[in-house]
Amino acid sequence: MTDARKLQGDKLSEAEAIERAKLGDAEAFQLLYSLHKRRVYSLCLRMTANTAEAEDLTQEAFLQLFRKIATFRGESAFSTWLHRMAVNVVLMQLRKKSLPVVPLEETLENEDEAPKRELGAADPVLSGSIDRLRLQRAVDALPPGYRRIFVLHDVEGYEHNEIATMVGCSIGNSKSQLHKARMKLREALKTSRAEKAAKP
Amino acid sequence: MNCEQFQEILPEVIDGGRNVEQETHLQSCPVCSGLVADLSLISQEARQLQEFAEPAPRVWNAIEIALRREGLIREPILGPALLPPVKHRWSFAWLAPVTAAALVAFGVFVYERGAREPQPVAQVPTATPAAVTNLQTGKSQKSVNNEDQQLLEAVGSRAPTMQAAYASNLQNVNAYIRDAEESAQADPNDEEAQQVVMDAYEQRATVYEMALDRSLP
Repeated sequence: MTDARKLQGDKLSEAEAIERAKLGDAEAFQLLYSLHKRRVYSLCLRMTANTAEAEDLTQEAFLQLFRKIATFRGESAFSTWLHRMAVNVVLMQLRKKSLPVVPLEETLENEDEAPKRELGAADPVLSGSIDRLRLQRAVDALPPGYRRIFVLHDVEGYEHNEIATMVGCSIGNSKSQLHKARMKLREALKTSRAEKAAKP
Repeated sequence: MNCEQFQEILPEVIDGGRNVEQETHLQSCPVCSGLVADLSLISQEARQLQEFAEPAPRVWNAIEIALRREGLIREPILGPALLPPVKHRWSFAWLAPVTAAALVAFGVFVYERGAREPQPVAQVPTATPAAVTNLQTGKSQKSVNNEDQQLLEAVGSRAPTMQAAYASNLQNVNAYIRDAEESAQADPNDEEAQQVVMDAYEQRATVYEMALDRSLP
């Protein structure tokens, strides 16, 4: 979704919609919302694993965006600006809920939570592709700290240095949390696949 | 280098930047190469979740109300109107509740039938996704396409600028329905999967409702 994206019909582009939204055009606001709602809502939903919270955060992210749209000068891509704003809204909300932010460095892991090393026989389990719904469920079941880093890095595409700044942790910690998240997802998907295979 | 040593440094090197020793171990060790392949696949497939879900229409309604209350939406609209005159828009208004209700009812029917009469996957071993959809819903792809086409024509006649957005929405929601139905059919006892099918149909109803409701005052 970039400024270059043209809409069919009378060729109203995202850039034109932004200019009209600055003038208070209701249709332009709705067009911008339509273009970006899935990405923003999906981010909120994956980060919170809660539909009601995700709706509230989506609403808040768009409202913040529209309140500040007059200051958008186009130096950065609109979508980048919006998604960064959405991430900030979600992270702020998670901080309010007292989920560990700084304590990422100190995340407590017991033996059950920590992903296990694999030193035994070869056991490739995920060859091919991964069912989207099963992946979604596995991500939702991750501990919040792991889920946050996984969504930011692997789903949203942020780099570790950006995540470290946004979340308030070290780059090494971001890498470590991401690795643990992927390992837990692998375990969950492996279990899910085994259960599916065992069913008649 | 052994497996334990390799997996110790894996968080640092999995996304690139391996040295010769690490690369050599990876190429000679099926356990570690299988692990790296799985983790890379998870990372790659995660992008599927980027635009996976559709927010309920109440989210936009709440945003619009707040924008109007705060004076960010202003009248009159400058520049050429994005919507045609009200008189024209009203001609399709009656379709909104009727279509939405029909789609929700259809989703309920599919959900309940799926819950009562689970169909083993083995009965449709060679079905394509589209065929699977048709088998379960009893609704032909052609019929769905016709409905979508009619809706898009209705939107296009009133708000050409929104037509592409709605076309994209319908494409996404139809893909969501196909995914959901495939999962539900693969495991008919999975209640969560059946619920996802319901959600998918509700989202499709929502798209119809939003598209046709735009002409309401």
